[in-house]
Amino acid sequence: MSTPTVVRPVVGETLPELALPLDRTTIVATAIASQDFEDVHHDPGKANERGTPDIFMSINSTNGFLDRYVTDLFGPATRIRKVALRLGVPNFPGDTMTFSGEVAEVTDVAVTLKVVGRNVRGAHVTATVTIDHPSGGIQ
Amino acid sequence: MQELEARFGELVGEVAEPPRVARYAVNEAMIRNWVEAHDDLNPVYVDPEAARATGRDDVICPPAMVTTWVMQGYRRWRQVQALRAEGVQESHAYSRLLALLDEHGFSSVVATAQEQEYVRELTPGTRVTCHFTIEDISPVKRTGLGDGCFITLRKRYVDQADRLLVDERFVILRFDPTTKDAPKEPAA
Repeated sequence: MSTPTVVRPVVGETLPELALPLDRTTIVATAIASQDFEDVHHDPGKANERGTPDIFMSINSTNGFLDRYVTDLFGPATRIRKVALRLGVPNFPGDTMTFSGEVAEVTDVAVTLKVVGRNVRGAHVTATVTIDHPSGGIQ
Repeated sequence: MQELEARFGELVGEVAEPPRVARYAVNEAMIRNWVEAHDDLNPVYVDPEAARATGRDDVICPPAMVTTWVMQGYRRWRQVQALRAEGVQESHAYSRLLALLDEHGFSSVVATAQEQEYVRELTPGTRVTCHFTIEDISPVKRTGLGDGCFITLRKRYVDQADRLLVDERFVILRFDPTTKDAPKEPAA
């Protein structure tokens, strides 16, 4: 069970990093767990024909890892309300994606986080994640 | 290319395809596969007691997993690929759009952006239906992967009582990998 490391978020607070080593099995297993059979997520030959050097992580898998990053930090009661993510460079087998982020906005009821997942080639994902305020807010 | 872009107008705003009804209800086995693949140890996805301790009634489905329930499965994926390879169009707007793009060489796909607003948490037993609309199609653009166009799909996921679960915008790039780093086409 994860331990919440952020209890009373304040604007500008830096979130602890999470480094995720991604092997081929991770990329395939997460794609198949989401029932995504697009060949670029499991077949290196087909990925090549489609213009990429290797298979790459699916957007749903990236989104799943974002969920994990945020709820690892804020604890199991965390309620994610909104995620807006944009993909940049792909995540290939052998990459390590490191999440980092900061608290962008805090209201009585919600906290907005800016999160980036980077690998050696640059930003794989840039995201804005809104969660309910961990204190339960004013409701 | 202008002739292609002119046809986008007929497709924008259309229902992309018939509503997708999940093949099975939200269930613990699929959730467990997902959280294990993501090495996610949040107990609210697998342990009803832990979920109740956070004020929920039961385990919940990881938010990002919503798309999974309305994926069509391996057999249907094979069938769709076979139909595309044969150039067969199904009657709905999204199939017509893909066929049109395939004809012009835009046969490869990458997802580029996703926005999801989670209105309700999903719990086991929920039967998800997704309504797809083609919200936008960009003009053909030069990208790092080749020439292509960005398609924005609006996806509204509802439960069996038709209550909104998740409202999503999903942007994909359909592109022609053979035009990667090709010289720019002269303006016609």
